[in-house]
Amino acid sequence: MLKLIQKLVPRSPWIYRLNAGSCNGCDVEMATTALIPRYDVERIGCKYCGSPRHADLVLISGPLNLRVREKVLRVFNEIPHPKVTIGVGACPASGGCFREGYSLEEPVDQYIPLDVIVPGCPPRPQAIIEGVVKALDVWRKRLEEDTCCRF
Amino acid sequence: MLPFLKIMVRNLLQGPSTDPFPFAPAKTPARFRGAAVHDSEKCILCGICRHVCAAGAIQLRAAEDGSGMQFMLWHNSCVYCGMCAHYCPTGALTMSDNWHLSHLGEDKYTFSEDSFVPFGECAQCGARIQPRPNVIVEKLGGRAPDQFLLCPKCKRESLVKHASDTNLSQFREKQ
Ligand code: SF4
Ligand code: SF4
Ligand code: SF4
Repeated sequence: MLKLIQKLVPRSPWIYRLNAGSCNGCDVEMATTALIPRYDVERIGCKYCGSPRHADLVLISGPLNLRVREKVLRVFNEIPHPKVTIGVGACPASGGCFREGYSLEEPVDQYIPLDVIVPGCPPRPQAIIEGVVKALDVWRKRLEEDTCCRF
Repeated sequence: MLPFLKIMVRNLLQGPSTDPFPFAPAKTPARFRGAAVHDSEKCILCGICRHVCAAGAIQLRAAEDGSGMQFMLWHNSCVYCGMCAHYCPTGALTMSDNWHLSHLGEDKYTFSEDSFVPFGECAQCGARIQPRPNVIVEKLGGRAPDQFLLCPKCKRESLVKHASDTNLSQFREKQ
């Protein structure tokens, strides 16, 4: 039974968006990816959800600045395992244009491990969809191996 | 009723407006700025690209054996502004339209544009100078290409020699 569920569940991942102090560029692109019929991420079974406790994939944008860090980490820890994190944009991967700024503590991945990175500032919606497809593979593998997230 | 029918017929004729990606290739606008591409054959190691890069994505590191410089552009820090390509004097850096850049988190630090640019040699004494590829010779050194390929020391000597030769000949003409 569990095996069957494990096989079926990557067909309908629920996505949670987490804004870690982004400039909103990436958030607009993520909203575009989800809501506009032209890109329509629901074709690959995804659905955006409002609560972190329901989420399977996490889309993170922003460089995790000091002001939101505690709050973001609190929400992030509420997402059940095995969560797959996708860093959208240059910010979560390296800090992007805010790199070496006074409001960040680097590197960002000491707090949030990123499984898939979609570089761009912001990446185009198709690139985000490509990242989600990659994350689905990671998730499938993780379910087969019965592992949690990387940390 | 009639406007609705009009819209319905139009939509039936047009087909779906959804972009078929990821099941079919997506259209890319002609001037889309994707990953930067570096051509080590054209680079003169001037460092302008590193200077203008707002995101600090470009590094130029001297090789350990002193034979050249390692050019590194980290795509995960790049904000795709295109300034480096705009200011590159030789056109060694260009922005491609490649946006298929998503990668796994393990490859985060290796996902970059790396190339090795060897130093040039002075045409006379063989001393180490910045590279002199043809693009920059045509652009800046077209008037005196043999002097453009020299190191500062040889160039100074050749200029002094040239000046003294002309002075001497002018002096002789006057006499
Ligand atoms: S990657 Fe660029 S667009 Fe996205 S949040 Fe950072 S600065 Fe804004
Ligand atoms: S495109 Fe902009 S951010 Fe990227 S390497 Fe060039 S100057 Fe730096
Ligand atoms: S890539 Fe262009 S701007 Fe950068 S060092 Fe080479 S020649 Fe100069």
